[in-house]
Parts: sequence; structure tokens; C-alpha cells
Amino acid sequence: MSSPERSRQILAGLKEAGINLITSVPDINLLDLINLLYEDKDVTHMPVGREEEGIGVCTGAYLGGRRVAMLMQNGGLMNSCNGLTTTALQFGIPILLLVYYAGDMGDNAFHMLGLVTEPVLDGLGIKYTVLREPAKVKEQIAAAATAAEASKRPVALLLTRAVL
Amino acid sequence: MKRYECFQAIAPLIKDELFVTTAGGATSEWSAVRPGDGNFQVKTLGLCSSIGLGLAIAVPRRKVFVFDGDGALWMNFGSLATIGLHQPKNLIHICWDNREYESSGGEPTVSRAGKINFAESARAAGIQSSRSVEMAKELVEAVRHALDHDGPHFIWARIEPGRTKVPPLPYDELENKYRFIRYLEKTENIAVLKTPLPHSYEETPRKT
Repeated sequence: MSSPERSRQILAGLKEAGINLITSVPDINLLDLINLLYEDKDVTHMPVGREEEGIGVCTGAYLGGRRVAMLMQNGGLMNSCNGLTTTALQFGIPILLLVYYAGDMGDNAFHMLGLVTEPVLDGLGIKYTVLREPAKVKEQIAAAATAAEASKRPVALLLTRAVL
Repeated sequence: MKRYECFQAIAPLIKDELFVTTAGGATSEWSAVRPGDGNFQVKTLGLCSSIGLGLAIAVPRRKVFVFDGDGALWMNFGSLATIGLHQPKNLIHICWDNREYESSGGEPTVSRAGKINFAESARAAGIQSSRSVEMAKELVEAVRHALDHDGPHFIWARIEPGRTKVPPLPYDELENKYRFIRYLEKTENIAVLKTPLPHSYEETPRKT
């Protein structure tokens, strides 16, 4: 189960990186972070029904001046591949992808998702970092946000259970 | 009514509203009728309603039109529920329903069977201001109402199939994006694009 304190650190890191609109689809491991988003007054939280919608919402919000992120499970990353390719990558939209890494080493559920996640990101040409150490999370979020902004592309952070 | 005639009929009502247009004829025809940097083309089938929603939330004082199609809306039908959830007052979502995948060769969409009612679907999803129109006059009245009142609004425009021959959009996706963003920065007085500063530009401590 996730820890509220670690989730608070992630949200603080996102705010420091300038993120002010987050779309989301839940996962049990993201529960604390999503609960924090529902309560937060500074960040606009937009739940969506399917992850590809979230890529669209992030794109529109970016065009209108927001700094955007999409919170989801890696199954949702698979759901959003066309939106990532023909919208986010083709138009050059910086979106921070915060992806719970189901099927990671040591996880007995969704092992197939775990197997394909990094190759899919490689195939899409989306730069990513796997977050494993809570102490480094803020710094890694800031670095990813800078990379997204500079390259005008989506950049992914794979959130393992150790940081949630 | 044909889509191009509809565009000609509503163009005189338009001032500085923003347009997110679905891939295909809706993009090229609208850009021919009303060219401008406030038009944003969508390449992912189905995603225009979601992009329009995000834009509407980001610029709440500006009216945002979404020009959707029946095939595109079928692909992202859940976006109606998401718009119903977030209730953007400034969103005007029009589904131009020709009952076919026009850009893909005219295969039938869900609409061809005559079972679906997109206007009722939108209302059931929480979009209270939802209308169905079949005549240009009704369309103009519906758009006028949407411009004068808080939304979100949904208009199911039932049109005849057929694309009018117009030139394609004269620029690619990246140029479209930059033009759209610069136009918004100017007219909304916001900063979207940060100035990229190389390290050599920053003040760095020197050894000597």
C-alpha cells in the first residue's frame, strides 16, 4: 500500500516543477496521491475515463498555458499510445507522464505489462526514468519536467511501489 | 444541409472564439471558410473533444468550439461523460454527423443504423444544453444561443455526406501549434512558451 507522506513528497515535487494541471485514472498504488489531488487547491485535478482522453486534455490545457501531467497505471500508458504518437509527439507537447509501474520486479500481478512497458516507451521514443528511491524523487521530477519542456515531448516517470 | 454550407452560415457569428477541429474535411473546410491562427487541427481520431475540454479549462474566459465527427465521437464516446463531469462553461461541442467515415472512404459509422441519438447521449452525460439540428437556420440559432449562454453546449448537426473541394491546411502540425500558441499568448496575455536559456547565458561562478 502507498504512503501518504511519500505521496506528499511527489505532489510537492510536481508543484515545485511548475505542474498545475493533472489528469488521472486511478490505480490502488496511486490512491494516496489521487486523494491528495482531490483535496489540493493549487493544482487543477481532472479525472478522465480513459487515459488517451487525458493525453488530449493535457494537450489542450498546455496550449492554453498550463504545465501538465497525466497520472495513470502502465496499462493506461498502453491505452494512450495513439494519442501519445499522433498528438503529443507529432505536435510536440510537453506532458509529464506519471506511470505506476505494475509488473515491476517483485510484483506478482500484471507481469506482462511489466515486461512490455520499457520497450514500448523506447519504441515511442519517450525518455523515461524509473523512480526507486524516495529521497531522490523531487530531484527526478524536476529533471523530467525540464526535459519535457526543453524537448517539447512527453517524458515518463515510472513510479515503483518503493516511492509511493 | 452540407457541412461547408453550415460553416458559411455560422462564420458571420464568429469573433475571437477558438476552434479545435477533427481530422479530415472539418479542418480543411473550416480553415477555408474562416482562416486564422485560432484554429487548431487534430490528427488523432476522437481526441478533439478531449483537447477542446483541456483548452476550455485553461482559458475559461474564451469560448472554445470543438468540431467533432460522428466516427470520432464514437471512438471517444466517454469524452461526453468527462465533459459532463467537468462542466466547462465556455465549451461548444458540435458533432457534424454525416453517418460515415468520410476520410476513410465512406464506411458506415454507428450513426448509419439510426439507433443512436447523440444529443440525448450528451444530455444524459450531464451536458444540459444539448440540441439536435437538421436545418441551417436551426444551427445558426443553436450557435447563437451557445455563444450567449454559459455551457457546456452540445449540438448534434445532422448533415448530408460530401466534402467541398478546398485547399488543404497550408502548414504542418508544428507550425499550427506555434501559430496557435503565439496567437493565444497575444490575445490572452499569457506566457505559454518559455524562453530557452543555454547554460552559457546563465551567470555561472568563474574560477578567475
